Amino acid sequence: MLTMLEEVVLLAVDEQTGHLRSTREFGTAYALVGAVFFDLALARKIDTGTETIHVIDPTPTGNATLDLVLAGMAGKPQLTTVRAWIEEIFLRRDDLEGRALGSLIEQGVLRHEKTKRLWIIDVERFPMVNNRPQQHVKARLAQAILTDAIPDTRDIMLVSIAEQCGLLGYVLSDTQLNSRRERIRTLCNLETISRKVSDAIAGLDAARQQGVGKIV
Amino acid sequence: MIEVTQETRAGWLVVGVKGRADAETAEQLEAALRSAVDQHSKVAADLGALDYISSAGLRAVLQSARAAQTKDVEFAVCGMSAPVKKVFGMSGMQHLLTIHGELPC
Repeated sequence: MLTMLEEVVLLAVDEQTGHLRSTREFGTAYALVGAVFFDLALARKIDTGTETIHVIDPTPTGNATLDLVLAGMAGKPQLTTVRAWIEEIFLRRDDLEGRALGSLIEQGVLRHEKTKRLWIIDVERFPMVNNRPQQHVKARLAQAILTDAIPDTRDIMLVSIAEQCGLLGYVLSDTQLNSRRERIRTLCNLETISRKVSDAIAGLDAARQQGVGKIV
Repeated sequence: MIEVTQETRAGWLVVGVKGRADAETAEQLEAALRSAVDQHSKVAADLGALDYISSAGLRAVLQSARAAQTKDVEFAVCGMSAPVKKVFGMSGMQHLLTIHGELPC
């Protein structure tokens, strides 16, 4: 089974071209931290309150990326809030996206192609070797959003991370998304981690706007 | 620590939950609620004696409600203590669950 992080990164790969869709650069980086926290929560390694996050089991999961983050968290018990940990992992720049892509290549879902544009610029692509995992992710997202049934925990998490990465537009039409905006909001609000990732992205946007204001 | 009780009242199987619902006890909570859903057509989770609920606890309640929905079982959450009510409110669980201030029976 793919991790939440791998599923979201896979969703960002254009099925036709193999290019990575990057819609919100920094927002995506925050959201990927959220995906790792969800993976750790699903593995019963961490738990969250309305503001706090704590490690409940520091033993490794067996997944190198998750264990890197888990070990970092266990080593810094003074950081207790979800928001502080989102910032901490974000600032460490662990290249979560690169690690997920590497794992997807290893698992035979993607392959890596590197070419030159104008003989100078490196262009990377990740064409699909097996498109079924991405189709599966898209089907689960569509099911969670377009029906009123209570979704599975993983699918609730997936909706919130995909939304924060700006990837839902690659799964559903604008009409579908607009008609289900309230449902998406409900699912995104359920988890503390999602709410705090949203806060972090909003804080970043506000800081950027202030910066732009100062320049202007 | 969590304590779970079961009693039938006016056609409802009431699952009383006492203690803390967190990552350590979520599995036990979900098992108890799912077992109730397997046994009865109307299940109420009485959270009046629950002191604390974490994200793991919320997931346990929500996934039990999902199991009930799949089996066409009526599932309600009721009698929440103030701290638990606050957590439910922040997560917007009322949009997906039936929540009663008092026991429906």
